[in-house]
Amino acid sequence: MNNPVDILLSLVLLSCLFSFGSSRLPGLIKVLAFQGVVVSIVPLFVDPHMTGGGILFTMVTLTIRGIVIPLCIYLAIKKVAIHREVEPIIGYHASMLAGLLLIVGATFVSHHFDVPASRAGVLLLPTAITVLVSGMFLLMARRNAIAMVLGYIMMENGIYLVGTTFSAHARHIVEFGILLDVLAGVMIMAIILQNIRRTFDDVDTALLRTLKE
Amino acid sequence: MLELVFLVPFFAGIVAFFLPRNLGRPLLVIIGAIHLLLSVLIWVYRPNSMFPEYFGVSPEGLLSLLVISLLFFLISIYTTGYLKASNIKSEHIFTGSMLLFLSTMTLVTLSDHIMVMWIAIEATTLASAPLIYTHRTAASLEATWKYVLICSVGIAMALLGSVLITVSMDVGKVDGPVSFSALTAVAKSLDPMWLKAGFVFILVGYGTKMGLAPMHTWLPDAHSEAPSPASALLSGVLLNCAYLGIFKTNNIMVAAGLDDFSGTILMVFGLISILAAATFILKQTEYKRMLAYSSIENMGIIAFGTGVGGLAAYGAIICLIHHSLIKSSLFLTSGNILLGYGSRLIKGTGNLVNCMPRTFVAFFAGFAGISGFPPFGIFIGELFIIVGTFRAGHYVGVGIFILSLCVIFAGFANQMLKISFDDTDATIQLTESAGMVWPQYTLLLTSLLLCFWVPDTLYRTIIHAVTSIGGGF
Repeated sequence: MNNPVDILLSLVLLSCLFSFGSSRLPGLIKVLAFQGVVVSIVPLFVDPHMTGGGILFTMVTLTIRGIVIPLCIYLAIKKVAIHREVEPIIGYHASMLAGLLLIVGATFVSHHFDVPASRAGVLLLPTAITVLVSGMFLLMARRNAIAMVLGYIMMENGIYLVGTTFSAHARHIVEFGILLDVLAGVMIMAIILQNIRRTFDDVDTALLRTLKE
Repeated sequence: MLELVFLVPFFAGIVAFFLPRNLGRPLLVIIGAIHLLLSVLIWVYRPNSMFPEYFGVSPEGLLSLLVISLLFFLISIYTTGYLKASNIKSEHIFTGSMLLFLSTMTLVTLSDHIMVMWIAIEATTLASAPLIYTHRTAASLEATWKYVLICSVGIAMALLGSVLITVSMDVGKVDGPVSFSALTAVAKSLDPMWLKAGFVFILVGYGTKMGLAPMHTWLPDAHSEAPSPASALLSGVLLNCAYLGIFKTNNIMVAAGLDDFSGTILMVFGLISILAAATFILKQTEYKRMLAYSSIENMGIIAFGTGVGGLAAYGAIICLIHHSLIKSSLFLTSGNILLGYGSRLIKGTGNLVNCMPRTFVAFFAGFAGISGFPPFGIFIGELFIIVGTFRAGHYVGVGIFILSLCVIFAGFANQMLKISFDDTDATIQLTESAGMVWPQYTLLLTSLLLCFWVPDTLYRTIIHAVTSIGGGF
């Protein structure tokens, strides 16, 4: 556990558990901002011989993931005075238990994969899988639209972890793609959220359940 | 030269956002015509790209490009009449998004780099979201939210898949460009385990966009809420674009000798889609949703055929082309019905044969085509797929396939007869102008013509496309 990468990754794992237990949006946003910062500096420790461009990309990611996006969402929920409750479909305690099981499962599964960068940290693959699946879990198990967006960002964090640490190949292309994706996705989602509010006076997606079979 | 074909609609689309509303309609038609011309030139001369690492002309891309161009040109003519008859508030956003949508879809067909393909498919989501939200109602907002959310998750999965494929390059100690053509050439040295994982994620990701069940849930909502010209584009072209991503990745799998793995997964997803469509189409109450489920069915058929390979892969490409032609004509026709009756419900329509005879001809011919009646291409494609599946010995699969097709035909025919011949007391609010029926007739006639006479260059391109996945006669 003396490896700095593993310490960082264990913080990421903790942030996943915290996010499962947060009941209020501001808390969830803070957890996601923290996770964004930690995840984006992991590549700096994995690859000690990083080029200037690589460091720049990491810094840009850190600014966007850790500061810009959380701040935007934070301001958005202040401005439009929406419900602060994340409205869980699966309760907090059950979510926490699911999170713990997920970490165990991810650790178990990751033994079956031959990761090129595995010497960088034993927790790399389990963390990547956990963050990815946690994001999907938040997407599915929370009814609040902003919590769903945050879940989506967590999923992106997981992919970033895979893309930047496993593969030396085309690393900056992966980063570029993710940035574009996050930015564009969040912008569009924010606009839509605005409109959802205007039309329904709330962002409870349970109200968006009229179109179904 | 090659890049012009997506740059022209891109800049035109940006300009269209700032144009007064009456200029957007002719702009659509003009750009449609220019795009068609450029596509034909590309087809004939096959020029090289200025950035050969990122863009390239592939046979399957060329086929899609030509279909996109033809469809967009005809849809743009229809759109002129549609916009006159309907009341869309922010028309400049609609026309601008249509052009950007065209540009992004063209980019998909020409992309050779795995990330360019990904960015292009991501961009199609962004460009088409405003189209679905055109009517600004609560229902269209819900459809847009679902579309953006589900497709964003899908596109994230596809990104992960692309990353895993680069991991397979690292593990296999392969160096070179991350383009589909280069990867297919060195497929044997890629690490098979990571490649398989990458394929699964790409299939789930792009499959979401393509409308494969169980990731199809956005599709009926988006198609039914979007204005009809946009639905025609979504169904006729966007689904093909997503398929292209899967097809190219499947090429790598086949070249790596993993076609058993990828083929089985494609067949399973295909069959699930066909079954899902068969379940939902029976009790549909809205005709545009019914058409959307029929698209899911056809995408399932195409995925199934691609998975089986051989003769069935040839059939899948035939189905792909004819589905685009026929389904977009059906969606345009459904726009006439919507404008005429003012109702989305099948119950709100009736007696189409007397109320709107010219629309009826297009609708009924489209129905005959899409459900696989003999003179149309879908029949030939499905026949090839069935024969190919028998040859490959997948008897259970082909049994489910045929049974589902019968159920879908019965459900479709039942609703179709209600729309066409049931009594109604509705008054028709639309005069059937030539511009609102001839595009559909042209699409259907093109499909009909392609059954009896396939130009040699087209035939060779199709064969060239399917031989890479072990298809052909």
